Amino acid sequence: MSALLVRGLGKTYADDTEALRGVDVHVGEGEIVAILGGSGCGKTTLLRLIAGLDEASAGTIAVTGENTVISAAFQEPRLLPWLTAGANIAFGGRRLGAAERRDRTQSLLRRIGLAGYGKRWPRELSGGQQQRVAIARALIGHPGVLLLDEPFSALDTFTRASLHDLLLDLWRELQPTVQMVTHDIEEAVVLADRIVVMRPHPGRVQETLRVGLPRPRDRLAPEFDLVKRTALRAVNRSPAPPPEPHRTGPGVSPWL
Amino acid sequence: MRRGAWLGLLIPLVLAVAWELAVRHGLASGRLMPPPSRLAQTARALSRSGELQTHVLATTQRVGLGFAIGAVAGTVLAMLNGASGLALRLLDPSVQALRAIPSIAWVPLFILWLGIFETSKLALIALGVFFPVYLGLLTAIQSVDRKLIEVGRVFGLSRTEIALRVTWPAVMPAWIAALRTGLGLGFMFVVAAELMGASEGLGYLLLDGQQMGRADTILVAMIVFAVLGKTADSLLVAASRPVLRWQDTHRLRL
Repeated sequence: MSALLVRGLGKTYADDTEALRGVDVHVGEGEIVAILGGSGCGKTTLLRLIAGLDEASAGTIAVTGENTVISAAFQEPRLLPWLTAGANIAFGGRRLGAAERRDRTQSLLRRIGLAGYGKRWPRELSGGQQQRVAIARALIGHPGVLLLDEPFSALDTFTRASLHDLLLDLWRELQPTVQMVTHDIEEAVVLADRIVVMRPHPGRVQETLRVGLPRPRDRLAPEFDLVKRTALRAVNRSPAPPPEPHRTGPGVSPWL
Repeated sequence: MRRGAWLGLLIPLVLAVAWELAVRHGLASGRLMPPPSRLAQTARALSRSGELQTHVLATTQRVGLGFAIGAVAGTVLAMLNGASGLALRLLDPSVQALRAIPSIAWVPLFILWLGIFETSKLALIALGVFFPVYLGLLTAIQSVDRKLIEVGRVFGLSRTEIALRVTWPAVMPAWIAALRTGLGLGFMFVVAAELMGASEGLGYLLLDGQQMGRADTILVAMIVFAVLGKTADSLLVAASRPVLRWQDTHRLRL
């Protein structure tokens, strides 16, 4: 088991754009935490920093516990087109022995409902199927921490709901610590134990909500709606992005 | 064979038959443009004497060896420059400057340096093959989808592993295409090399035909070139098919 601890994280890009300032996030062992916010609030930047794809300008990221393996699934499936579905899943399990990698690939193919699709090329799979393969690839290597960057946002409503169920099933079974990013309030309430609402310019944490609903969650229950509204209110409290600075021509006083 | 592929043979066949009939009925002399039957005769005679085989073998060896040298050099340098920004900044400008010199312009220098025999010919062919292979592979390496590289990084692959398991397979189609272009240029430069002085080879046969006023010999050599070039290209495509199976199959049918 492992926990993720982010302290005072900041990121300023080379062009002086400040994407994140002083972000603290804690994801406990086996917990699912959703980062919620609109575009420009730095949620993807946060995930990229944790994944080690970008370097932070300030702050620390620590994975504690016995299993510090991090893996991720992205907004797009990002399958390697020259590998079959099975080989793509196996790609995520390079630390495993050959026999275990083979067995786990087969069992994950079954778990994601794609038994018999192992030899298909990614281009022969639908978007939802590709994203399921991507999630299996992220899980094959027994990650302690699983990062999900809006992995369901490109899918239609029905596919998305079925993938939510699949993800929760796999999470119950494998118990990874999950840090996910989404702009979909309902998705956050369906999946997460806690929701971290972010505000933009620069990206900061606005507040953290505890969902506190038992699983499986009924999207039609009044309690569900209540949490959704609380989250929506929190998102609305986070201010809209400031208007573009008023541009003035050379020599024109901005006070005119 | 693809449906309708035979249709493409229609025009050459009709022209050949028409020319044959025109010469037979005295409508044309056929001296500068010999009819198909004369070409067949010449080809038979050349191959019966063993001359044709000697020329084909000489040309094939030159193209094969020159292509191998040029392709390996282009591939290695493109991999080096694709992997290291320092190497790219150090070497690529010089390579691009050399590329701006038409390859045939090297001939006098190669002959001075390497003599008029095999070495200078191989150098010319290798040079012609080198540039398209280098440029094609380097461009492909530089434009590999960053998102796929990130997949490798997220799963903890080392730089070498990413190069072998992500970058290399990703550039494979472009590399094969570059090799095919290089092979085509190899055939172009073998003709140039052999026209400039050789005692055997299809290029020599071309020149010999010109000097003897034998249009039939020239045409036979040209046809053999077409067959050789097409065969070499098909072999390359066939060899690459297993590693490109993941692509849409119809893209390979050229």
